[in-house]
Amino acid sequence: MTVLLIHSHYGQPPEGYVAAAAAGRLAIVRERDLTATDFAGAAGLITTTHLDQIGFLAHADAYTALLDRGGRWFFNGHMMREFVEGLDRYVPLIAPRRADYVLTRIHDHPIFGGIDQRSLEENKGVAGFYGRGHNPPPVGAIAVNGIGPERRPIDWDWARPEGGHVFSHAGNDLGGMGGETGNGALLTQRIIAWCAGELGT
Amino acid sequence: MSILVVHPGAYYHIESFESARYASYFDARVRPEDLPETDLSLYNVVLIPCRTAADRMQPHIAKLQAYLDGGGTIVATGESESQLFLPSITFTPQPTNFWWWLTPGADLGVRIAAPDHALFAHLSQRDITWHLHGWFDPPAGAEVLAVNGEGKPILYVDDVSTAGRMVITSLDPFFHHGSHFMPATTRFLDGFLPWMRSELDQKVHK
Repeated sequence: MTVLLIHSHYGQPPEGYVAAAAAGRLAIVRERDLTATDFAGAAGLITTTHLDQIGFLAHADAYTALLDRGGRWFFNGHMMREFVEGLDRYVPLIAPRRADYVLTRIHDHPIFGGIDQRSLEENKGVAGFYGRGHNPPPVGAIAVNGIGPERRPIDWDWARPEGGHVFSHAGNDLGGMGGETGNGALLTQRIIAWCAGELGT
Repeated sequence: MSILVVHPGAYYHIESFESARYASYFDARVRPEDLPETDLSLYNVVLIPCRTAADRMQPHIAKLQAYLDGGGTIVATGESESQLFLPSITFTPQPTNFWWWLTPGADLGVRIAAPDHALFAHLSQRDITWHLHGWFDPPAGAEVLAVNGEGKPILYVDDVSTAGRMVITSLDPFFHHGSHFMPATTRFLDGFLPWMRSELDQKVHK
């Protein structure tokens, strides 16, 4: 069983994913070419901010089956469709100021182990790239990171009652969010490992 | 009134086209894959937004050309590699500096090139200034509306290469507005979309 990266944009996938695919740890499939077979052979899947969320719903049976059998889905971006029951629409910050972008670790998670969450806040001294809102967590989800003084759950991990896990990162693709520390490559590797079931929750 | 927007379905497209702020500017939405079953002649304008995957549009090159030949108007915004599916576009990408504004007094260099154009009754220079992705070499006779710091076109109207009209830009307002990121892009759409409705939503007569 492999991990499936759904490649939605035109052009090359991010470098870390290309390297993982070359190492046999990842299958990269253009979203427009997806078939049920791709899902059936996957332990987990990664979707990017450029996901065609309307088109992806056509694969609902296949990705739901993946979750039902215990598979994992790492979701990057703003949820605008209810892909499975329990998910809800993205909520942006309203007129955010710098303090509203402060990131706080709420619960430890192996994807973020050893990474100071505040080190991911800024890119060249500018905050806001990591994310600017949150996808509402389903009942039972564990908030991993919060944004702003109210610590809205920008990252969460949900053990779906019917099976499987969904990890939501409500911002730019997490693998590109190394901040000033160069942790983007590490995060990419951990996202893949988590989707493969090699990291806990 | 007939403006059709191609809807590629990413979150920023959904936010831009389906949310109340701009939904009324789009009389119909079509998925790229449904273009073969769509009668484009029903629409005065077809808008192809930022970050439409070019390989979802390339199967429809002939249909888009026929629409232009029939007097239609196509509006195409940035980061979609429009030159791969629309005619007569020559594009040169440039590295994007997202941080230019951190330098006190810095000037990205974007300028309005045709201040008397009707679009600029709706937009100021600061409304077209956020960052740059590249420039065009428009065909002779096209009207350049805005340029980058080197005077290269970043927004132009081409009503010479086809029987219709193309409004082409390397600016990417739908991506950023739909990401709730960069207020200038929302100001741009606040001006551009009313202009599109009032000035472009009619058949081209030459």
